[in-house]
Amino acid sequence: MCGPERLEWAGCPADVLQLAALREGEEALAEIAARRGCSLPAPGRLNVAAGGMALCVRPGRWLLLCAPAAAGELAAGWSGECDGCAAVVDLSSSLSVLQLAGAATREMLARGCRLDLARQAFPEGSAAATVMAQVSVILAALPSGMLLLTPATTARHFREWLAHTGKPFGLTARSDVTVASLHGDSR
Amino acid sequence: MRGPARISAGVLTSASRPVRFSFDGRQMQGLTGDTLASALLANGVQLTGRSFKYHRARGIVTAGPEEPCALVDLIGECGREPNQLATTVALHEGLTAESQNRWPSLKFDALSINDLFSRFLPAGFYYKTFMAPGWAWERVYEPLIRRAAGLGRLEPRVGDEADPAETVHDHADVLVIGAGAAGLAAAHRLGAGGLRVILAESEAVLGGGTLNDARWDLWRTTLTARLAAMECVTCLPGTTVLGAYGHGVFGALETLAPPEAAKFGGLRERLRVIRVRSVLLAQGALERLIAFPGNDLPGVMLAGAALSYLRRFGVIVGRQPVFFVNNDEAYEAVFALAVAGIRVAGVIDVRAHSRAAERARAMGLPVHSGALVHSARGGRGLRRVRIGGLEGRPRADIEADCLLVSGGYSPVTAVASQLGAQLLWQEVLAAFTAQLSGASARAAGAAHGVFGLAAAARDGRAAAAEIASALGATMPAADEERDLPADTPATPITALWEVRGRGKAFVDLQNDVTSEDVRLAHREGYEHVEHMKRFTTHAMATDQGRIGGLLGSAVLAQARGVPIATVGQSRPRPFAQPVPFAALAGGEVRGHYKPKRRLPLHEWHESNGARFVPTGLWLRPLVYSLKAGWEPVLEEARAVRRTVGISDVSTLGKIDVQGGDAAQFLDFLYANTFSTLAIGRARYGIMLREDGLLFDDGTTTRLSAGHFVVTTTTANATAVLEHMEFHRHTSCAHLDVIVTDVADQWAQFALAGPRAREVVAQLAPDLDLSNEAFPFMAAGRATLAGIAGRLFRISFSGELAYELAVPAAHALTLWTAALTAGAPFGIRPYGLDALNTLRIEKGHVTSAELNGNTSAQDLGFERMLKKHGDFIGRTLSRRAALGARGRLQLVGVRPIERTQRLRNGLQLVTPKARQLSLGYVTSSTPSVELEGWVGLALLAGGRQRIGERLTALSPVHDEATEVQIVSPHMLDAENQRVRA
Repeated sequence: MCGPERLEWAGCPADVLQLAALREGEEALAEIAARRGCSLPAPGRLNVAAGGMALCVRPGRWLLLCAPAAAGELAAGWSGECDGCAAVVDLSSSLSVLQLAGAATREMLARGCRLDLARQAFPEGSAAATVMAQVSVILAALPSGMLLLTPATTARHFREWLAHTGKPFGLTARSDVTVASLHGDSR
Repeated sequence: MRGPARISAGVLTSASRPVRFSFDGRQMQGLTGDTLASALLANGVQLTGRSFKYHRARGIVTAGPEEPCALVDLIGECGREPNQLATTVALHEGLTAESQNRWPSLKFDALSINDLFSRFLPAGFYYKTFMAPGWAWERVYEPLIRRAAGLGRLEPRVGDEADPAETVHDHADVLVIGAGAAGLAAAHRLGAGGLRVILAESEAVLGGGTLNDARWDLWRTTLTARLAAMECVTCLPGTTVLGAYGHGVFGALETLAPPEAAKFGGLRERLRVIRVRSVLLAQGALERLIAFPGNDLPGVMLAGAALSYLRRFGVIVGRQPVFFVNNDEAYEAVFALAVAGIRVAGVIDVRAHSRAAERARAMGLPVHSGALVHSARGGRGLRRVRIGGLEGRPRADIEADCLLVSGGYSPVTAVASQLGAQLLWQEVLAAFTAQLSGASARAAGAAHGVFGLAAAARDGRAAAAEIASALGATMPAADEERDLPADTPATPITALWEVRGRGKAFVDLQNDVTSEDVRLAHREGYEHVEHMKRFTTHAMATDQGRIGGLLGSAVLAQARGVPIATVGQSRPRPFAQPVPFAALAGGEVRGHYKPKRRLPLHEWHESNGARFVPTGLWLRPLVYSLKAGWEPVLEEARAVRRTVGISDVSTLGKIDVQGGDAAQFLDFLYANTFSTLAIGRARYGIMLREDGLLFDDGTTTRLSAGHFVVTTTTANATAVLEHMEFHRHTSCAHLDVIVTDVADQWAQFALAGPRAREVVAQLAPDLDLSNEAFPFMAAGRATLAGIAGRLFRISFSGELAYELAVPAAHALTLWTAALTAGAPFGIRPYGLDALNTLRIEKGHVTSAELNGNTSAQDLGFERMLKKHGDFIGRTLSRRAALGARGRLQLVGVRPIERTQRLRNGLQLVTPKARQLSLGYVTSSTPSVELEGWVGLALLAGGRQRIGERLTALSPVHDEATEVQIVSPHMLDAENQRVRA
């Protein structure tokens, strides 16, 4: 994971869609996704997709992250095609997306995260669901830093925890980043 | 040199950096790198405290965390902290310490009179002495005992801000506990093999026993430098492993060095939770005491401690030392002090011959072989030592200012015991070693029973190779084998536990337990070592009997007439050392104690005068006014009854259920049927627990054939989601259904009141909202204020009402549009209080009535229980007991005198039997539609009592209110309003 030396966090406005395969629908869902330029990753992994990314932290379920559009537009686009093979649920407002970047990212997250986030255990492209600061968090390691998805209604609590915990590491907030920028080195 | 007893530069102290500190008001100087104990000894302080029970004078006994006596109060920014170990507290500028458990002063302690009456105060005396009268225990005896005993005083500083605290989660392949010769060698080999290693050392510097032998300085510094350069090795000095918690999880407490503490805002201790694949126990061995009369006098110390103070801090613990030993290892201290120019007054060796004794004699030291110390004599400090042969009377006194004792070394087995290791008696060591089984834990070095630094280092390497092999790692060839300084051949130990004689011989210095107390325990029938421990308090408290635990076992074994191996040792439990509660609590205290869940419109509510109430994790608007009293609430509720109001109900649980079998799944989860629900309709549902009692209620909407949206109560949102997920994977695993939590996705607002339709019509102009097109319980997708959302015609207030849902990110747009559209009608936002007023008037239940004790029959829902098909709770909901007469049933209550108030919790009684509660008021409110107060209640046989008059009692408020029992549906029983 590259990223800036200084520890920084930023919001990342994104639409989030959950695709959950119905019985015997996984293959069909993968084909639909492939047609849409998105390769569905294995559990615990993240794939860069057309215009966004797909991650999987639960067998048979994927989260797609895309640049924000009108309410429900992303879901509507997938729903018709996935009818019968997958449950499509819009979670754009449900999850708050943050990016944490900097040399001390993993060291700082160890203050709340029980998962092994060392590079050899959680390399780029890894994704996992866990609990931090008493709230659920989905983590994904990207070249640009660590992506964190956390429930919207406790997002302020989580950001406060992040700011408090990051203080000794010099954590600063910066302006929002785009989903597209997450793919690359933020420097 | 900063102190009269400091004769040289220590390995750990910095002679150029003096530090001022005070003890019992006396100003002294020490050096950076000192512990409080080494600084006190450097300044000639021998008396450091009074003992727990007898208030006997006590001094420093050890040089580490095993210290039983030198406990002090530290007074600093955090207030007064008791029971701090002088032997581990790092000295710093301005450190202020006080001795404990004495009054009026350390030298003249009034309660030392206890010592004179000690024959009346044996182990367990308070169980027998303070038997009567019974009332006196709590009022007289216990306060007196607590005042007399106990160590230290707690005076925490209470500030607005909690002190910094944090918990860190660490992961590695191998945790190496102890950085002595074995631990360092093992960590280096494991690191060289590319394994991720955490090396935890309880001392502030790495090295362990090598710090006491100058020949090992080069090896140690070379290895620690190499370890520091290894990216895969994390060295944690000052970190004590507190316990093993199974599955490779260990707890550890790190005491931060000053620069690290400064970086973390003054953080002092850090709790570490370490998860590893394998552990290497290399904590070494601890020197033991010998029980003999007077073995607790200030000046009696372990021999190894004297060596540590000399080597590490350059401090001599006395100028006229006598040694009392039974092993060759203890002679390292003899030789070191002699070489340092100290006149050794005598070495009392219980063995007739030993190699070390011969070397000592060759140096001209007075060695008394085959001899014993019969007693140590003195007042507040040692003055002379009475010695003699193995049998018979004492034959001589030796003048001495310190007596350095070594009863042998016990391998540290605490963590191994917690890992389930059996202890095996090793006659050759006169100690137990841990027999670890399985591939995930190994011991090395002295902890493994391998004594000698070079032997320990080799053992560490061998253990590392085994661990690496078990973990599938490849180790490079070892290259530093020949660098190890050679160990001196040693004559084996001769076990010696106790020298019996007149006077108290202690086996536990911290709890004032004597060998006679252990024998008393045996006589009283406490034969098991764990029973003896609890009878005598032996091996309890901060030191957990580290230097005397085995002595107690040995004395018990002798009393029982069995080998010590049969008696065993009491099992030490976590924590290995006292841990501040603040460190355990971490950062999750005060404002961070639990997360706060905020509504999507929290800021709007806040800036519009909402007063918030915590409900679970949520912060919900209670009322939009800072004015106290009911009037603001009633104004909000009145707006709903008269025109229109809007309430943020986003806290409701919302669950998306999809799949070909979604309807079948809900039919099984809920007591009523959903498979018959038409698309575009909502239905109220009740969910039972497996025991047949009510679990939750809410509305479920069918958006398409295989797509439902379920709402739950706010209180049960998470529980219902878990319940659904559980059954989806277990009893309903055959069904094709996906359950997704969408509670945070949707903001949901209730628009309620006679003018609600007109407001919604403006928000959804394309929708036909007539009763024919969108009747009560209609629901579906809708564009609301231009946002793709959902509209439900459901009501919790009893009025014509709609619930509008949009993705939470668009909540403000819809809310603002609704307020604008409703402005001509005087729309008002209403909070939780008004919402309750409205639902109580209407007789709707909430968590006050769905309280885990009520059945569907109790709340009048029995007709909702479907007749056909299975559902969770079906069988047990038909229990005869749930239909029994006298069960608490839902009713309404109204005061006869309408102006009288009702309260939640009022007990309902008949005037003739005021002691017999027939039920209680669950919810109450002043009414906006009806005169005076109204309430809901759970009343025994309630439905049969409608029309009766009862008394509602509040003994707490000394109130009695005459009430009439009415139907819970106190408003619009025909539901004309909701269907308007």
